[in-house]
Amino acid sequence: MLEIKDLQASVGDKQILHGVSLKINKGEVHAIMGPNGSGKSTLANVLAGREGYTVTGGQVLYDGKNLLDRTPEDRAGDGLFLAFQYPVEIPGVSNTYFMKTALNAIRKHQSRPELDAIDFLKVIKDKAKLVDIPETMLARGVNEGFSGGEKKRNEILQMAILEPRLCLLDETDSGLDIDALQIVARGINALRGPDRAFIVVTHYQRLLNFVQPDFVHVLSGGRIVKSGGKDLALELEEKGYGWLEEEKIGAR
Amino acid sequence: MNIGGASSPQAVRGNPASGAAASGFHLEARNRDGSVVQLKAEPVEGGRRVTIPPGCQATLIEKNESLRPEPYTTQSKWEIVLAEGAKLNHYKLVHEGPQATHHSFIEADVQKSASFQSHVFLFEGAQIRNTIHVRLTGEDAECLLEGLYVGSGSRVIENHTLVDHQKPRGTSRELYKGILDGQSRGLFDGLVIVQKEAQKTDSAQTNKNLLLSTEAKAFSNPELKIFAHDVKCRHGSTIGQIDAAQLFYMRSRGVPQAEARRLLIYAFASEMIEQVEIPALRDILFPCLNLATYTKK
Repeated sequence: MLEIKDLQASVGDKQILHGVSLKINKGEVHAIMGPNGSGKSTLANVLAGREGYTVTGGQVLYDGKNLLDRTPEDRAGDGLFLAFQYPVEIPGVSNTYFMKTALNAIRKHQSRPELDAIDFLKVIKDKAKLVDIPETMLARGVNEGFSGGEKKRNEILQMAILEPRLCLLDETDSGLDIDALQIVARGINALRGPDRAFIVVTHYQRLLNFVQPDFVHVLSGGRIVKSGGKDLALELEEKGYGWLEEEKIGAR
Repeated sequence: MNIGGASSPQAVRGNPASGAAASGFHLEARNRDGSVVQLKAEPVEGGRRVTIPPGCQATLIEKNESLRPEPYTTQSKWEIVLAEGAKLNHYKLVHEGPQATHHSFIEADVQKSASFQSHVFLFEGAQIRNTIHVRLTGEDAECLLEGLYVGSGSRVIENHTLVDHQKPRGTSRELYKGILDGQSRGLFDGLVIVQKEAQKTDSAQTNKNLLLSTEAKAFSNPELKIFAHDVKCRHGSTIGQIDAAQLFYMRSRGVPQAEARRLLIYAFASEMIEQVEIPALRDILFPCLNLATYTKK
């Protein structure tokens, strides 16, 4: 589904990714872990097409086609979704209206019929239950005045509504208490399926207790320095990231 | 003209502006018990004069509207007196032709415990000048001045407002928002004066501008002159552009760039229209906003 080949990217003058390669098949859940500043968020943002990130080398194929020359909205239309580390507040645009606009834009992109207001309301009410979002929050401006946990739940709600095929979660667990973490995890797990893949970017192993990954990759200094199964996350939790740095230096 | 659903036979209709056939006004008033009050909009030089009697609640809806393509000039002038405890909601919509010049002058004398509320929507016209002078001449008087102005092409829009607090415990609130595209110019020039006698005045004045092009310009000049010592006054202004983070957030959800921009412009302006208490008027204003902010890119 997604093939990242020797991806290099910079922000301003600073080179962040020094050659990342990764292959993700449908149905798989990949966790990307690593210390602060290792390039995790950069990877997620480059994949989603955020401005300000310059790809300086390598390529990314999505369904066998070049992903990087496409607009963010086209990527979303083709089933890519980024759950933001810091979801943006948009006062004046209601959550419901925004989601209806987004879903219909994606359906249009996929040559599927658009949903009318009544059908859409059924969808959003149904999905909101999954992440414990009350109807009052749906009527409010997008993320306007939401707490940190509410914003992250709202990201999962959007993901559930838009039904992407490739979900990128950028530190969705950061700043969540245990209850909110479980709600978010429940939302993610409900979406797991044979045709959908996940890239879960996280600093801590905590989320992975609830969302079991198939693969764990450690990103450090803009490179993937180690890959393994879910046990690798536990090992990282125990030993921290330091030993990988030493191992890397030792191998030189 | 029939807007606002307020079509009682006692309402006054007229044509205060010279030279624009589709323009006109609608004025009606009621006592607190709901009974209809007959109001007179007397002609004065260049416009009309109306007095809202004590305790009376009035609505004045004014449209300055034309599709004429050639250059022409219209003007409208209102001299309004609000007697003790009276309230007036004034809605003004300017939707003139593409080469039109429109001058509007509103002068309000707000007496004891009276309330003057002005909502101005400046959508179309080559040159628009909106001048509002409000004098709070009685104790506990209040005023609300709201304005939304939309500029594109080479349109020039000027707003000059004056709120003169003359007596104690007056309240004034002012919010003007500008959306400027193309090479348009938008000016907000707002002065609040708090006279020596006007202790316990509570005043807030805000001007916000959204620039949609690099060549559009906003000029913002909020000004306070305070001669009393026990007052609460604040003012501020902002000039900004479409927020890149909000735009990316929307696009990452599949919303095409042009539509995301439109939504964000709409979000900036919509609160001004949502506050309009007359549903039928909102139904006119929202399409005007859509039309006025639709960028041909």
